[in-house]
Amino acid sequence: MTATLTLHHQLEAMRPQLVRFAQLQLRNEALAEDAVQDALIAVLEKPERFSGQSTLRTYVTGILKFKIIDNLRIATRERQIDCDDDQSEDDVIDALFIADGHTRDMPRPWGNPDDALEQKDFFRVLEVCLEKLPAKTARIFMMREWLELDTDEICKELAITTSNAWVLLYRARLRLRECLDLNWFGKRAVE
Amino acid sequence: MKKHDEGLKPTCREVHRLVSEGMDRELSLVERTRMRLHLIVCGACTRFNGQMALLRRAMRELPPPEVPGDTPP
Repeated sequence: MTATLTLHHQLEAMRPQLVRFAQLQLRNEALAEDAVQDALIAVLEKPERFSGQSTLRTYVTGILKFKIIDNLRIATRERQIDCDDDQSEDDVIDALFIADGHTRDMPRPWGNPDDALEQKDFFRVLEVCLEKLPAKTARIFMMREWLELDTDEICKELAITTSNAWVLLYRARLRLRECLDLNWFGKRAVE
Repeated sequence: MKKHDEGLKPTCREVHRLVSEGMDRELSLVERTRMRLHLIVCGACTRFNGQMALLRRAMRELPPPEVPGDTPP
């Protein structure tokens, strides 16, 4: 009983953060709340499945990802994905290169990756950068890199071509690279 | 083929794109070879390649653990 209460308490503490990530992916607050609720209930109903081999956070996140993937599949069937944003996004690519195809600027060194990944604030900046992406770009990028779906599956869910998906993912990475460079790595270089 | 992809030597523009697409599909032998040869000599693309790898690692770790005591009781 006490163990269940503790688990309940731990899960509640994680809820706000999980909702934020679900919302980044689903772009809909109600759907995000539902997905997190489903995930937390699934854990509470079968607490014995959590073997303690991973952290509780990793375990719950894994379940949440499955719930979100289910949800995306239903949502895809029910409504057409909005294809509008990103019309001017060729600029994101063009801005990086000069006419002969060389990079305009040398990218700033980002240092040892482990240094960034050990810092909680780095992930806060990443989260803000993800929020700033155009909705469709964010969805497809999160599907690929957070839910770890392969491109074929994403194309099926979103009814887009593979080449379209590659371009959208490329643009998402360029935007995130720039956002992290400005708001994390650049600021640290100055200090 | 796009206009930037046709030269004997790949440009940074092509290699940046290949770095990204290589994360989403298997590149052809020709593409891989062009990319690798370019990365050997190009610091800008090598940095970009490392940044893309970091981005992927970071995404797989989301959401990060909160610092104990950070969450409201």
